[in-house]
Amino acid sequence: MISVVLQRPLARALVMSAYVLGVEWARALVMRAPGAMFPALILGGAALVLAAAGWQPKRLGIGRDRLLLRILGGLALGVVLLLPAAVRPGSAPLLPFGLAVAAIAISIGEEIAFRGALYAALEDVGGAPVAILGSTVLWTAAHALSHPPAFLGAVFAAGLVLALWRWACRDLVGPVVGHVLADLAL
Amino acid sequence: MRRPALLAAAAVAYVLAAWAVAPGFYDGFGPPAPYNFTCPPPQAGANTKPTSGHATIKVINGISDAASAYDDDGQIVIGFLPGAFDVTGKTSVSVDVVPLDTCPKPPAIAFVTNVYHVTADAPLLKSVTVTMRYSNLEPDPSDVYLASDPNGTWKSLGRSSQAQPFTVNTSTTSLGYFAAGYPSASPPPNTVTVGGGQTLPIVVAVLIVAVVLAGLPLAVVRRRRSASSEADADDEA
Repeated sequence: MISVVLQRPLARALVMSAYVLGVEWARALVMRAPGAMFPALILGGAALVLAAAGWQPKRLGIGRDRLLLRILGGLALGVVLLLPAAVRPGSAPLLPFGLAVAAIAISIGEEIAFRGALYAALEDVGGAPVAILGSTVLWTAAHALSHPPAFLGAVFAAGLVLALWRWACRDLVGPVVGHVLADLAL
Repeated sequence: MRRPALLAAAAVAYVLAAWAVAPGFYDGFGPPAPYNFTCPPPQAGANTKPTSGHATIKVINGISDAASAYDDDGQIVIGFLPGAFDVTGKTSVSVDVVPLDTCPKPPAIAFVTNVYHVTADAPLLKSVTVTMRYSNLEPDPSDVYLASDPNGTWKSLGRSSQAQPFTVNTSTTSLGYFAAGYPSASPPPNTVTVGGGQTLPIVVAVLIVAVVLAGLPLAVVRRRRSASSEADADDEA
């Protein structure tokens, strides 16, 4: 029954959307408990990676071809994501080692879930426009519990940049590299 | 051409959207709530004055209960263990947390938080934990400082390992005026300082250099490959 439902693109996209949103909202709520930040980020990242189960790496945008270009693109995306914070006065603290590991885990998990699996599932439903807009809207909704409303515009715009990269370059390595850099630096 | 143009437009839209909210993109840990400054730095933008707080700690079987006292902004939290107070003759202990409405600048110390006056109507018997939140617009503090008079001598209480980003923790056996900061004679801790700048601008500058330096040869190689494949196609024709 479940496998029959999941063979339908729309049903699969809906199930995947609910799963990814559920993981992100649960993570945001658990992180509010004292001392729960590290396990919530690590387990949340791992649960998001599970969204890619059953997908071919190529459909997710993962591959070794043009690897240097993909990594270079990721550095460029990192520059774009960090630019507004970099030109402001002030500073961000260096993350303690444990939190840096957790930041890497959640960044990779989010990219694989949103710009990887969810993007591919939505692309099967309505092509690139649905994949780009759908994954960006869901990415913004996923951050609704962890971010004040004032930040959601920037979150949406960041998601749009990463999703457009995924579409334009058929690549997920760049968004992963850019996202990890942004999370580590902020 | 359409794809790069869309990507560039989205990047510009992102920079504008992120510029509207300090510090910009935050993820994973979520952005800290804006810090309510007594004396806001110029880059803080709109600022709300900090609030005070009050806690009434019950005395149960002759021992003060475990409790926390904090301001309504959550910018300072004092944690009390059971039996933290000498409660002789008392049925409860009253604790007040009040932000100082001035910004003392003691010699050789740079404060990055407001100064909070924490008082209790019973003497302390055990050490208490102090957690202070600070703004992402300020350097990372190295210590929490305590004084009995804000215009007098400030004593460093050090700091424990960082449990949450943008918070600093320590413990103390006396209450008084609290603020977090760093010795002003040294650069702010945990920041890489080159030419007066700090970590993030350096990270971004290094990334830009890496992209340009690695991107140019890659672009040349790809152009040559493209040109040679076109030439091969012409030869075959």
